[in-house]
Amino acid sequence: MTRYTIDPVTRLEGHGKIEIFTNDDGEVENVYFQVPELRGFEKFCEGRAVEEVPQIVTKICGVCPGCHHMAAGKAVDAVFGVEPTKTAKMIRELFYMAHFVHSHIAHFYALGAPDFVVGPTAPKAERNVLGVIAKVGVEIGTEVLKQRRIAQEIQALIGGHQTHVVMNVPGGVRKGIKEEERLDIVEKAKGFVEFAKFSMKIFNDVVLANKDYVDIIVNGPYNLNIHSMGLVDANNKVNFYDGRVRVVDTFGKELLTYMPNEYLDNIAERVEPWSYLKFPYLKKVGWKGFVEGQDSGVYHATPLSRLNASDGMATPVAQEEYERMYATLGGKPVNATLAMHWARLIELIYAAEHCLELALDKEITGTDLRNKMYQTPKEGVGIVEAQRGTLTHHYQTDERGLVTKANLIVGTTNNHAPISMSIKKAAQGVIKKGVKVDDGILNMVEMAFRAYDPCFSCATHSLPGKMPMIVNIRKPDSEIIQTLRRD
Amino acid sequence: MKKEVLILGVGNDILTDDGIGIKLSREMQQRLKYDNIFYDTVCLGGLEILEYIKGYKTVILIDAIKTEGGIPGTVYYFTPADFKETSNLSNIHDVSFLKALEIGKALSMEVPESIHIIAVEIVEDLTFSEEFTPEVQAKYPEAILKTQELIEDILG
Repeated sequence: MTRYTIDPVTRLEGHGKIEIFTNDDGEVENVYFQVPELRGFEKFCEGRAVEEVPQIVTKICGVCPGCHHMAAGKAVDAVFGVEPTKTAKMIRELFYMAHFVHSHIAHFYALGAPDFVVGPTAPKAERNVLGVIAKVGVEIGTEVLKQRRIAQEIQALIGGHQTHVVMNVPGGVRKGIKEEERLDIVEKAKGFVEFAKFSMKIFNDVVLANKDYVDIIVNGPYNLNIHSMGLVDANNKVNFYDGRVRVVDTFGKELLTYMPNEYLDNIAERVEPWSYLKFPYLKKVGWKGFVEGQDSGVYHATPLSRLNASDGMATPVAQEEYERMYATLGGKPVNATLAMHWARLIELIYAAEHCLELALDKEITGTDLRNKMYQTPKEGVGIVEAQRGTLTHHYQTDERGLVTKANLIVGTTNNHAPISMSIKKAAQGVIKKGVKVDDGILNMVEMAFRAYDPCFSCATHSLPGKMPMIVNIRKPDSEIIQTLRRD
Repeated sequence: MKKEVLILGVGNDILTDDGIGIKLSREMQQRLKYDNIFYDTVCLGGLEILEYIKGYKTVILIDAIKTEGGIPGTVYYFTPADFKETSNLSNIHDVSFLKALEIGKALSMEVPESIHIIAVEIVEDLTFSEEFTPEVQAKYPEAILKTQELIEDILG
């Protein structure tokens, strides 16, 4: 048996590791995707005042601090049995749209685009964001950083800090938005909308206009036929901040739907001996293994699954793009893993448009920022869509509001099984007998999980103090016959 | 006009030893009272770091590091030329620290002329805690002195 080790995963937050096992014929037999897990969060929270937790959780992850802050804030609302005021909800959503803009821009240009704009098997020295800049122009690179910075400025203005956010308090937000600030955000959000549309144009011109790339997306070893999860509003439109979780099956029909406080009735977590991280699955379907199809309990929670699970987007340009994607790819649901990049850009447009909508509404400058009709604290669940999947925070407290129990299902954890399955399919598709396993081949394997925008910062963010990636190719007796290093 | 010096502590102060860069940076703020030195802390790397350091002439980053067989509490000094990957300066979600510097230069940003990295060998960064491990705690006073000495050397 030959063993390929990819450790750690390139351009992936956290220290992931892929083990690919082949048989003597050179065919891929199995693949294991492994990540370490952070420990002790529940213990860390125990005994702390629950209203402090939304500030603490911003430190869980440097990549999606706003998502944890938002899910925790909503869970704490529920702990105190209080609904935020309308103004507070608008302010929270405005912050959250800026957070999505910031993150989705980063993924497209730094993580997704190198594979397509530069090329999936291009020399590794060029297959990065600098290669993208070289292709699309320095001014675009400057604009990427500018728009990300502006998104951070909005988050810092509303949230008190761009990463260590202090915005959410039980039943509302700490501070409001002044009229001059609103007008400033309107101008910035207009820029987001234009930049989001421009980013979609790049995708159209560079990716969709290239027959080979479309072929890889549609016919490559990157399809996974599983259920789709996403948060939707009352009209079944995609919603990042609020609503109910909806899961559609492999035919696109609603399989189940649940409110945050019902998550334990709907989601269970599978433990495998080879992985620190658990594998969530649909409890009512049951765990049937790492298998595809209508009977599988495996679901994904990604930009693509959010679109699959919805009946559309709540803003006009995003809706047009939503319709175009499904028309192009043959209707709903779409199972092409690499279409996640497309879905992410549609979400970028939605976030930008909704950011503008919220800023244009003068009601957002209201002064009714906090509902203080608190009940005796007890228990609460908050769910939002993080960029990388549905994010659930669950807290239980004593009657003083001190945390007695905490549980989190983070965005990427939902996708642990799908990522493992996608990697295996990709590896089986590109690693064949007689095919030299070079950097380009391994990158095509990595493309399978990169599409998920996986973030294991919640798992770990320690690098080994060495090269970021080492690939060992071993004979069946484990003797190393080739080592690839990647920086 | 460019600001002179930024001392930036990098890490996560609720992940056991990972916060050592943050804590050392705060300690230096108490000890080093030079004019025109700015202090900040951050738990981000990659492109985000670029936003923090642009516009300064000199930047001194303090971060944690894990090396094979490293002795806890050991203080290392690097520059971009002999950079070893520390715990937080790169963000694999976007780009590595060195790539971020390249991007900054490619986009004509005001990347600091002089960049110094101080890294401290740690033991544990996967467990939530505000306390260091005993091994790092035992060496922390020495790490403070060594860090101060290095910064004073850098600043002349």
